[in-house]
Amino acid sequence: MKKKLLSLIVFSLIILSGCNGDGKVTDSDLALLKTTHPPAVLIDKNTKENLDLVQNIERDVEEMKELYDVAVVKSNGDTLVAYKVKHLQRFHMKKIEKKMTEMLEEKYPDENFVVSSDYKIFIEAVELQEKMKDPDFTDKKAKEKLDKIIELKNEMT
Amino acid sequence: MSKKANKTPEQQQYEQLEQKHELKRPVMKNCIRAFWVGGLICVVGQAITYFYIYRFDFTEQTAGNPTVATMIFLSMLLTGFGVYDRLGQFAGAGSAVPVTGFGNAVISAAIEHRTEGFVLGVGGNMFKLAGAVILFGVFSAFVVALIKTLLIMWGVI
Repeated sequence: MKKKLLSLIVFSLIILSGCNGDGKVTDSDLALLKTTHPPAVLIDKNTKENLDLVQNIERDVEEMKELYDVAVVKSNGDTLVAYKVKHLQRFHMKKIEKKMTEMLEEKYPDENFVVSSDYKIFIEAVELQEKMKDPDFTDKKAKEKLDKIIELKNEMT
Repeated sequence: MSKKANKTPEQQQYEQLEQKHELKRPVMKNCIRAFWVGGLICVVGQAITYFYIYRFDFTEQTAGNPTVATMIFLSMLLTGFGVYDRLGQFAGAGSAVPVTGFGNAVISAAIEHRTEGFVLGVGGNMFKLAGAVILFGVFSAFVVALIKTLLIMWGVI
């Protein structure tokens, strides 16, 4: 009996630790566990105006006291805002989302915002920000990735 | 008052005798055991949710479905190996209330009636215990969804 149990535990450990990647740990791997504070990402013409805009958005969102981590990705179409809510504030998730959408739409009426508190969206946003550092990663690819994230966000089941 | 009045002296005497010999149920101990084991099962479920969020394209919202399926599958395996029975003896409701208890109910009924053949035995009795869960689960989900739909239609929420 003991032997059976032991072999079962070992077997499930092997199964669960199967795909462990190349061993390099990046911020996006730990995005669920720690506060990452990713810099805002701009997938658009690299003008000062655009850079200021995206940084202002990030600062404005970070000012909300219910949140502790914010990632902003802006393209020429949509602007993705992913955030993590403090644990005890998670009861008011809907209210926070509404408040943030209203605030953003009032301050930046020309932008098209996609707002999400989902951890997965946050992880993907951090991953996109990491990939942008790579010079081979073109704006077109980045835009595709952003569209994929937004599609993921809208998935219901 | 009425209960005691209806009993004959012999019955009352027997009741006293019975109370003297009856073992006291360790309610507190059972609750603590159920709390810990149930909590541990939920920790495993949370780990599996995070696994799906990290490794596959599931968001927090959609990762629930594969997690439930995996948990039920694991508890079915454990029931087959005879591990879950011991866990159930130790933890009681702590192992029966989470979704893993559902898998246990299905497989234990299937094992019990294996000797009666595959169709009338396993097929006919597999959902003897779990059938109630499915029926009332689906029905209450239907009622709740109906209420929610109506509330949304009336603009309350």
